[in-house]
Amino acid sequence: MIPTIGHASILVGLALSAYAVVAHLLAARGGDPRIASSGRRAVIGSFVAAGIACAAMVLSLLSHDFSVVYVAENNATSTPPFISAISLWAALEGSILFWTLLATGWAGLVLHRYRDRHRALMPWVGATLAAINGFFFMVMTWPGNPFARTDPVAAEGLGPNALLQNHPFMALHPPLLYLGYTGLAVAFAFGIAALATRRLDEEWLRIVRRWTIIPWIFLTLGIVAGAWWSYEVLGWGGYWAWDPVENAALLPWLTATAFLHSIMVAERRGGLRIWTGAMVIATFVLTLVGTFLTRSGVVASVHSFTQSAIGPWFLAAIVVALAGSLTLLVWRLPELAGGGRPSGTVSRESAFLLNNVLFLGLTFAVLFGTLLPLIMLAVGGEQISVGAPWFDTVTVPIFIALLFLMGVGPALPWGTAGWTTLRQRFSLPLVVAAAVTAGATIAGLREIGPLGTLGLAVFVGSIMVDEVVRGARARARGRGEHPATATWRLTTRNRRRYGGYSVHVGVLVMAVGVAVSSGLATDRTVTIGPGETAGIGAYEITNDRLVVEPLAADPRVIETRAELTYAGPQAGTLATALRDYPNSPTAIATPAVRTSLGEDLYVTLLASDASSGVVTLHLFVNPLVVWIWIGGGIVGIGAGFAAWPERRTRPAVQPVPDSAPRPAAVETVEGA
Amino acid sequence: MSLRTLRWLLVPLLVVPITWLLLAGFGHDPRVVASPLIGRPAPAWETVTMAGEPIGSDDLAGRPYIVNFWASWCLPACVDEHPVLAAAHEAHGDRVTMVGILFDDTPHDARRFLDRYGDAGYPHLLDDRGAISIDFGVVGPPETFFVDADGIVRAKQTGPLEPQGMDEHLATILPRASR
Amino acid sequence: MRRWLPVVALGVLVAVVGLATTLALGAAAPSATERSESLGAELRCPDCQGLSVADSPTRSAREIRRQIDELVAGGADDEAVRAHFVARYGEWIRLAPSAPAVWVIPFVVVVVGVAALVVGLAARRRAGPDATAPILTPEERHRVRDEAEALDA
Repeated sequence: MIPTIGHASILVGLALSAYAVVAHLLAARGGDPRIASSGRRAVIGSFVAAGIACAAMVLSLLSHDFSVVYVAENNATSTPPFISAISLWAALEGSILFWTLLATGWAGLVLHRYRDRHRALMPWVGATLAAINGFFFMVMTWPGNPFARTDPVAAEGLGPNALLQNHPFMALHPPLLYLGYTGLAVAFAFGIAALATRRLDEEWLRIVRRWTIIPWIFLTLGIVAGAWWSYEVLGWGGYWAWDPVENAALLPWLTATAFLHSIMVAERRGGLRIWTGAMVIATFVLTLVGTFLTRSGVVASVHSFTQSAIGPWFLAAIVVALAGSLTLLVWRLPELAGGGRPSGTVSRESAFLLNNVLFLGLTFAVLFGTLLPLIMLAVGGEQISVGAPWFDTVTVPIFIALLFLMGVGPALPWGTAGWTTLRQRFSLPLVVAAAVTAGATIAGLREIGPLGTLGLAVFVGSIMVDEVVRGARARARGRGEHPATATWRLTTRNRRRYGGYSVHVGVLVMAVGVAVSSGLATDRTVTIGPGETAGIGAYEITNDRLVVEPLAADPRVIETRAELTYAGPQAGTLATALRDYPNSPTAIATPAVRTSLGEDLYVTLLASDASSGVVTLHLFVNPLVVWIWIGGGIVGIGAGFAAWPERRTRPAVQPVPDSAPRPAAVETVEGA
Repeated sequence: MSLRTLRWLLVPLLVVPITWLLLAGFGHDPRVVASPLIGRPAPAWETVTMAGEPIGSDDLAGRPYIVNFWASWCLPACVDEHPVLAAAHEAHGDRVTMVGILFDDTPHDARRFLDRYGDAGYPHLLDDRGAISIDFGVVGPPETFFVDADGIVRAKQTGPLEPQGMDEHLATILPRASR
Repeated sequence: MRRWLPVVALGVLVAVVGLATTLALGAAAPSATERSESLGAELRCPDCQGLSVADSPTRSAREIRRQIDELVAGGADDEAVRAHFVARYGEWIRLAPSAPAVWVIPFVVVVVGVAALVVGLAARRRAGPDATAPILTPEERHRVRDEAEALDA
């Protein structure tokens, strides 16, 4: 009964999306505004339909209804309720259902928000979003039906993928990521609308900025959460392996970040219409390409959903989206070219444009590395692998250049910068950075990676501090405010700028965390019997005992657990295990991580001998890892601050005395 | 042709290569790796059977032989190909030697598998550290290598064997006369 | 004092670059363990998804690491160790492609992009300001648009 309702809801969603596309296209050609309203309501209706379908799936999972193939493959009677519920997005069909829920949600939200405004753009936005939603409903109707039934019904299901049960982040990482992906479709829809209506001007930019930065926050947090989960769960001590699916999430993030920066130039100086249009198209297409790579089985990956029939459908969607939007862009090309004030070779614009070039370079590099094995196969060449060594070597220099630019760019003036300005702005930070680097070298830090990143971070940080101090001082002097008040008012009245600075601070923290944790990590593999001790860094690890028993939460899982005591800068007990899941060929490692602000003690069980109690452990000391996650959080908060609408009250400057009546002071909420 | 007309070329220029590339990925399972051993002498090895008897590649010299890497945990592939291997041993065991080599598995679990799915009648060998599987370039079970009477590897099957594939690969190592 | 700051900064920059170069060049020849570790990071674990043998806990990875240690101890150079495994698995086992072109292409793309940027900026400057360039600030333009829409509604 419930699965039937779910399946019916999907069909309803498909029908509503199809209707919405037609209604919005008709509305775009002009005519009765009620057509647009009905289209909007259809989109909201499709969101309700997706919601019902999701609820049906969650209920089927919670009730262990094995007549549904998806439930039989991802659930078992012993699966705890929390895991059952989040299994909605654990595997292919369910994840598409969840994606559709979020996509229709964004679509409904934006159409409702602007139901009385931007009348030229909204029909095209609605048509594009409804078409995208319709595609996902189509995938769920034909190749990837989440409610496919099976007969006879098995008594027991296969249970959830072992890796996904081990950590609560499974509840966090996919939703954050999907919120990002689906939200970026809104920016794309606005891009299509702007191209179709020839309104690629500041109106579009202003709207799209808000609707890009919010999904961007989710995407950033989702990627960081994924890295954190990978670190805590997979047991190899690292957090980023340049796996194709990790790259798939990174690619749209790179172009979205470039896009956000290019908007700032376009708003300030005009022009860049082709560029921003191309960027927003690229972001959406990369989202589809990434999803395709993950789900089609074309590249092998940690994450691969098994090869499935939906691959060709996604390929078709990519071709349609790319060809369609490119055609539109090329069609409008003559009108879009040019515009904008010219700028000096060294100026904020050129720094932002260089930022775009570098981000695009990164995008190309990551895409190239991910697809190269495929390219080699396609041209009949030898099978090769492209892994971390290549990606690290190629991307690190570009990241470093971007870090440098992150400091220098915002401190440059618009227009052009002369030598005097450069000297004034950058001399002191350079000296401070050098002093700190020298101090670190003397204190014993000799690794070039962490040392260089530290110096760069201090350089960039000093520039930012200088900017804030300078601004606050000017404000305090000009208005007679207390320095603290001045700083507060300065930052909250210029949220875009200082939110942006906060994001950069978060990036710096992450950069230092990454550099130090990769450059200064130590690890060793030890084999110790009961009562024996091994050391790593400042820690001593003692093997207390080895326990083999079924898991309390899920008795089908046999856990081989090494219980250890550790002493050193932190002290206590920890347990690391290998878990044997019935549906997994190899045992799943559950590393033990003891986190402190300074370093992580990370222990994985590699092998054990139950009869003698001897265990083989892989021990790591990873310094400053927690700062990567903290930095990610700062980025999210900073971007949120930047996106938060500013309440503008009456202007602080004295209005020019004027005999003509002025409109009442406008209390506007800035932004879309 | 003016620039205005030429710009339309941008669309197929970008769309066609991308489509072709992503399409090309469909025909191929990324987990299948072509073997550099084909046409080269099979690696030498020495180990013991599950019963504890020593055995080496020298003992198999002079006759074509099949080496099948498998594991009790490799489901459902190893289960699916088990009857195919048994049938081949039944039909051609007099002319072709067959050995199975355990991949990252314990004799205890392997024994249980054979008790459950039937012992095909040929010996199964241990490979404790995995050195033999590395010498053969095994990515993961099941993988089967077909070696001719001169000790040259003629064919490799990645993934479970099917009757037709088995016949094709056998044809590469059996002498023409007795096929 | 402030006038001397830029000179100091320049001197400091030179010193830092010098230090970095010294640190990088002065690094002693890698020990056997270091060589094993770096080779282990270059080779792919056969039964994992993209991890190197250095990072992987599987049996195959452990055996490959053991063989690397053995080869290095036996005096084989880095290329010989790589060749040993490529002979068994093919180029696939190497996580970093051997063709130099593959390493160079991304840098070429970035350099071309930067060059295009510089040329483009210069060309734009020569062309002079554009009549369509905005003369109001973004805030003013937003306000104009808002009020026009309010009138429209």
